[in-house]
Amino acid sequence: MNAAVSVDGDAETTANGKVVGTTVPRADGDAKVRGIAMYGMDYTEPGALTVRVLRSSVPAARIVRLDTSKAASLPGVRAVATAADTPGTSGMLVVKDQSAFAREDVRYVGEPIAAVAADTPAQADAAVAAIELETRPLEPVFDLDEALAEGTRHIHPGWSDYEVAVEGHRGGNLAWEARVERGDVDAAFAEADYVVTDEYRTPRQHQTSIEPHAAVARYENGRYTVHTPTQFPFMVRDRVAEHLGVRPSQVRVVVTEIGGGFGGKLDAMLEPIACVLARKAGRPVRLVNSRTEEQTTCAPRENAIIRLRTAVSRDGTLLAQEAEALSDNGANSSGETVLCANVPALVLGSTYRIANVRYSSKVVYTNTAPTAAFRGVNGPYSVFAREMHLDHIAAEIGMDRRELRMKNLLRTGDTMINGQELDDACLDVAMDRLNEIAPWGERRSEDGRLRGIAVVPATWLTNPGPSAGAVRLSEDGSVVVTSGAVDIGTGALTGIRQIVADELGVPFDQVLIAHPDTDTAGFDNGAQGSRTTFGMGAAALDAATRVREQVLEAAAGMLEVSASDLELAEGHVAVRGVPDRRVSLAAVAGTAMWTTGPIGSTGKFAAPPVNFDAGCMTGALFTHMIGVSYHAHLAEVEVDPDTGKVTVTRYAVVQDVGRAINPGLIEGQVHGAVAQGLGYALYEDLRLRDGVVIDTGLESYRLPTALDIPPIETELLENPGNQGPLGIKGAAEPPIVPVAAVVACAVADAIGSPINSLPLTPFSVLAALRGRDSRDESSRSG
Amino acid sequence: MSYKFTVNGEGVDIDAAGVTPLLSVLREDLGLTAAKLGCGEGRCGACTVLLNDRPVAACVVPLEAVADGAVRTAESLASGDAPLTQVQEELLSAGGVQCGACTPGMMMTLTALTEQQGEWTEDSVRAALTGNICRCTGYHKIVDAAMRCVTAEGGSR
Ligand code: FES
Ligand code: FES
Repeated sequence: MNAAVSVDGDAETTANGKVVGTTVPRADGDAKVRGIAMYGMDYTEPGALTVRVLRSSVPAARIVRLDTSKAASLPGVRAVATAADTPGTSGMLVVKDQSAFAREDVRYVGEPIAAVAADTPAQADAAVAAIELETRPLEPVFDLDEALAEGTRHIHPGWSDYEVAVEGHRGGNLAWEARVERGDVDAAFAEADYVVTDEYRTPRQHQTSIEPHAAVARYENGRYTVHTPTQFPFMVRDRVAEHLGVRPSQVRVVVTEIGGGFGGKLDAMLEPIACVLARKAGRPVRLVNSRTEEQTTCAPRENAIIRLRTAVSRDGTLLAQEAEALSDNGANSSGETVLCANVPALVLGSTYRIANVRYSSKVVYTNTAPTAAFRGVNGPYSVFAREMHLDHIAAEIGMDRRELRMKNLLRTGDTMINGQELDDACLDVAMDRLNEIAPWGERRSEDGRLRGIAVVPATWLTNPGPSAGAVRLSEDGSVVVTSGAVDIGTGALTGIRQIVADELGVPFDQVLIAHPDTDTAGFDNGAQGSRTTFGMGAAALDAATRVREQVLEAAAGMLEVSASDLELAEGHVAVRGVPDRRVSLAAVAGTAMWTTGPIGSTGKFAAPPVNFDAGCMTGALFTHMIGVSYHAHLAEVEVDPDTGKVTVTRYAVVQDVGRAINPGLIEGQVHGAVAQGLGYALYEDLRLRDGVVIDTGLESYRLPTALDIPPIETELLENPGNQGPLGIKGAAEPPIVPVAAVVACAVADAIGSPINSLPLTPFSVLAALRGRDSRDESSRSG
Repeated sequence: MSYKFTVNGEGVDIDAAGVTPLLSVLREDLGLTAAKLGCGEGRCGACTVLLNDRPVAACVVPLEAVADGAVRTAESLASGDAPLTQVQEELLSAGGVQCGACTPGMMMTLTALTEQQGEWTEDSVRAALTGNICRCTGYHKIVDAAMRCVTAEGGSR
């Protein structure tokens, strides 16, 4: 493990007896290696019925007739549900345009139309086959530009009636638009020595958790209980309630072990269907996606087009930039794509100084499966476009690629394009460290193999969502943390235990975390955007601080000293300097129980306000960055000129994590994120043809294997932030963000021609190598 | 048809069609849910079990191919509350477990590897693991754990 170092270059030292800053093994590992951890796909309840879903086989059609009566009368069938049973219209926070089952129209292949609960899988399958469905085809819309063109059929003819959380620019097939405009863009373009223009296209990337989505629901006492492997139990609660037309308090979500999320398990998918069938059947029901359902209907990272136009002066100063980002929402806004509409703009404008910008980010409806969050959301393709475009600029003006980046890099005290000042920026430090690890220099071709290198700096954020948690001291001196936070494998809850253990002076294994359950836990904004250790960590620390005060107060009475003379360590409260005079936490808990009352407290977190220029943005739901972290990645590649095969020969990451709570777990996140980024860069592409997903399984949707991942050199910088607890910044999400960019820039360097789309399959690399890429539309003026 | 074989050392007698995947027998009939149904098409390796000491994808192994054989699942590694095996220990301490969905299958491939004689190199270990997809870890920590299990250094730990 590379030691975490501070930005000053000092090796980090861990204070005596503290677990924060050490690589404690994950707390949930024993059950996982024994094979007894109960995942959503493993969970069931006595008497649970099997659910199967009738899904649309066409991308766009009007439902003329839907008759489930024959299906309902088949043996073993206990309930059938259609849109008539799910009256609500839902959506991920912003635009409410989704029904659990197709209502008048079907809008994508795989959209649920009806579902059946039966005693056996065979009976459920037979019942689905017996559902009578008649549809009339509608003109499907697939292409992003065409969707927005005048005269194209509107996928949601009733779009103007949809409920929206805030008003924004939208209409027809434009689900949402966010705009940023700052400075005098036109004047800057008029004065530029060079104007460089590019267009980039990127594919859908599927999260492909090993565990598919699953839900087990039951209905009792007028309430729904659903067990599900979700990243965001409170979101599932609210979305189920919305679909079913009930209050959120009528839904209880209990989280099982979760076999991978990566953003794909933030939204309600199977839960509303399972809940309504459980009510109608009067029995528990169980619904697990097949791999094909996973790949074809569970919301991947959106495909996108980014068009960039930049005004540059002869010395390499970036004077102004215009961008249009089109991202594919798919058929409705059930994923986070609308919520993240402004992320491309923030990404484009958060790493280099650009005084004048005009950015438009459009989220577009198409007749395809809805898209959603995948680790890094819009980041990987926005950085890919930004960095390839910079390389194009460097070539135009004849400047070294790294020098161009260093010249324009945002430094401490500079402002992003939203007017937000970055008062702890350390992009330059990260770039310099990278340069020490792997000094910059051109790579020359050898043995006929083409070699390339690239470095990419990047700024990223931590999801700012709120959290509440509770900490209580048990009568045996152990500590229980209750929260809605979910550990999707990152080890975030291990980090929270470390924080609480240190605050209360108890051994790590004496801190327990209650299972996430929306009935008992306070709100938590979900395992997304690396926010769990940050937001929930802050709430847990807040609660633990109050518990500490209660402990000290009770112990002060027992030891007959002032609370300020006491310290907590090793599960005891001791008089400072007199280690023999101490009482155990168990004794403190027992005494307090009958005097001041049981020891425990709630705690909470909300992101602090940040100054930025709200007036420069419209339609932006992500307006600024919280828990900002700074990154630099390096890739060296070899390209085989005969086959087009790309081999990444060296990969290095320098990452600001604020404070490394558990360096080993963070390093594991860096490895995993880089691996997913390499998949996105080199071969992952969830292909669709006429709205039909071609890659229905892992045979053609190629995931990285153990042979595909190069060594990853990792260095963690500790540059504490002031918004999370203990200086923490989100760490698990950001290392995917620059990967496709740095690999593509290195490949472009190797082959001597630009890359304008992902992934870099051998075929596309050969095409670029032979100069067939015709999308290079650079123009030069001045 | 009825098929007799052993699972984790115990004899079972399963009455089912010969084409029934071994995985569904393990998970649904025998309640052994360590092996996961990740893809059902022999691609992800989350369902890996040992059949006569060799790793197989239980989702594509038909029952008739198991007849009279010996099946071992991840539940057999440290049965009950027994101490963890070296493979389990090393995976945990190296940080080779994140979400854990690939872990039972990964452990069976690694267990077979440690039981085979031979000189293992990092490359051959990686090649042996290509049938097991891990979406979380980027593999390095799993390979670290594997190397500790198959090299003298690991043996002395
Ligand atoms: S479930 Fe058997 S290989 Fe994927
Ligand atoms: S640990 Fe999640 S798939 Fe391997």
